Amino acid sequence: MYPFLFLSIYFQVLLLTSFFENKKKIKKEEEYEIKNYPTVTVAVPCWNEEKTLASTIDSLLALDYPKDKLSIIIVDDGSKDRTLAIAEIYAYNHPEQIKVLSKENGGKHTAVNLALEHSTSDLFGCLDADSSVEINTLKIMVSYFDVDKNVMSVTPCIHIRNPRTLIQRLQATEYLINIFVRKAYGQLDSILVAPGSFSIFRKEVFEIVGNYRKAHNTEDFEITLRMHKAHLKVMNSHKALVYTVGPATAKGFFYQHLRWARGFLENSLNYRELFFKKEYGNFGMFTLPVAFIFIFYGLYATVFSVYIISSQLIISINRWVTVGFHPQMPIFDLFYFNTTAMSFIVMVMFSMLLLVLYIGNTLSDDKQQFYFNFPIFFILYPLFAPLFFGRAVIDTFFKRRNEWVLQDTKK
Amino acid sequence: MIDTKKYIFTFVITSAIFATAFFTSTFFSNKRIESVKSIQDNIAIDILSSETQFSLLGEVPCSNVGESSLSPELSTLGDKLSRTEADRGTEDKDVIYLKKYYSLLQIKDYLLSKKLANKCGIAKKPIFIIYFYSNQGDCPDCEKEGYVLTRLREIHPDLRIYSFDYNLDLTAIDSMKTIYRVKSSLPALVIEDKTYIGFKTVEELEKLLPDTLKVATTTVSKKAIIKQNTPKVIVNGTTTVATTTKVVN
Repeated sequence: MYPFLFLSIYFQVLLLTSFFENKKKIKKEEEYEIKNYPTVTVAVPCWNEEKTLASTIDSLLALDYPKDKLSIIIVDDGSKDRTLAIAEIYAYNHPEQIKVLSKENGGKHTAVNLALEHSTSDLFGCLDADSSVEINTLKIMVSYFDVDKNVMSVTPCIHIRNPRTLIQRLQATEYLINIFVRKAYGQLDSILVAPGSFSIFRKEVFEIVGNYRKAHNTEDFEITLRMHKAHLKVMNSHKALVYTVGPATAKGFFYQHLRWARGFLENSLNYRELFFKKEYGNFGMFTLPVAFIFIFYGLYATVFSVYIISSQLIISINRWVTVGFHPQMPIFDLFYFNTTAMSFIVMVMFSMLLLVLYIGNTLSDDKQQFYFNFPIFFILYPLFAPLFFGRAVIDTFFKRRNEWVLQDTKK
Repeated sequence: MIDTKKYIFTFVITSAIFATAFFTSTFFSNKRIESVKSIQDNIAIDILSSETQFSLLGEVPCSNVGESSLSPELSTLGDKLSRTEADRGTEDKDVIYLKKYYSLLQIKDYLLSKKLANKCGIAKKPIFIIYFYSNQGDCPDCEKEGYVLTRLREIHPDLRIYSFDYNLDLTAIDSMKTIYRVKSSLPALVIEDKTYIGFKTVEELEKLLPDTLKVATTTVSKKAIIKQNTPKVIVNGTTTVATTTKVVN
């Protein structure tokens, strides 16, 4: 167990030192300004999104960005509900900005690629139809392209919108951790995923690495891998807020994370030539291999914890069977406190995780109920993670089909 | 571009965190050993004091000698020793030393109690169970027997239980084994100078105990039973067995 704990602490320390080392630089990013506004196309791929499409389009129309420089392409990917009708109403009301394309269902990557073919803008982005953006989000992101000509993609800061159910609150904390991790990865030039929710790309990225692919239903991760392979720079903008709707139920959460975990494993294996290659920098030498190892570490930690807990349980059951159940008042004595090296190491890990959450919470301007949500994460996430990671490993090993299971959302 | 210095710096910090964790753990572990040693020293003084008092018994009436003269800290010591054994392992030199010391203190306490009973008669006669166990994996019932003895101690606070690790390399324990004809079949229990081999339930042991204990037990309030601590000793690598002596005042 100690080698894995060492790797975990090492990982946390590396991210924290990278973050604090570049704190001034990160602060300076907040002062970036745009001198020349490039043209931007935002694609909104939809498949049965009648409930959320309107709010997504409204947030895009409200963006603080020159109207003549921003175009929106809504791609209906063979929806069976009123998605296309809603999209056409918006196109009718905003013909100068919104274009609607309709096609047979073929998966998200086909929808985005269709929009890409119709785009002539300098920058191209995609916004999932269950997400929305803040008024200044695009402006902040575009400023990164304007300041540094080498920046090829900018990822936003994603939050869960109005987390209500326990599962959504769990995700609110998970996304907070990701806010910090993505920012720290950015300092190491090794952002793992340019997420589908409003990552913006220079148009030439697609000329260099090609269009989106199915990529085990995680096309955003796969295209990021191709960008790293082509040595294209990906940055993160921590003030560019995007809100997405998280699955409301345990089942939805499980299948969403299973798809992500499976996609991560399959795509990592497909791009295994990136592993431990100096030419791919921190991404190849550290970020990607560690993320891959952590899946198995998580599973090992689960097996270890289950073994410890079940051993104690067996002892208790054995005692009850032998003499019956006779509860006693616990004895408070400092002598009996757990002072093993492992307990101290776990305490350090936990403290650093709290620090990560604090930074994630303060980095963005979002003020959601962080303090209430994080205990839910610490209790529920360890119960879910082994399930979707374990299933992903098994499915990958047996080459089972990777289906996109519709996530249920409560809005 | 890889910043090797950053990776080395991170390695140094991570190693420092680990080193601190191990150092702190060792520090507290040593503190535990010191604490157990200190309790043992106190008990040794208590027993010496009781022995001295016993020597004076010829001049002191039995009514002036209570059970409290016997060491009251022996059960606490059993608890703490079992915790130390769980932390440091059964093969740890300090643990083995402490267990030997603890076993000797139990034997002295046992002998002193017997002398007291002989001198002062049945009124002062304590009820003993001497228990031999093994934690080397060769006694599958020892763990269960430990639960039984713990429970028995909860029901009968006047009961005095002395536990001995059968495999502990100590001549005094060897003598006890010879006296009570305990072979390698474990668990072994000695009640009223009779040796019983094999697992015994609470009910079976209660039948073997003298009636005087059962009468005494009925006078003990429920509150007193709940309040008392449960001594534990490691058997088969688990902190489960209550097998040390306890003096109830």
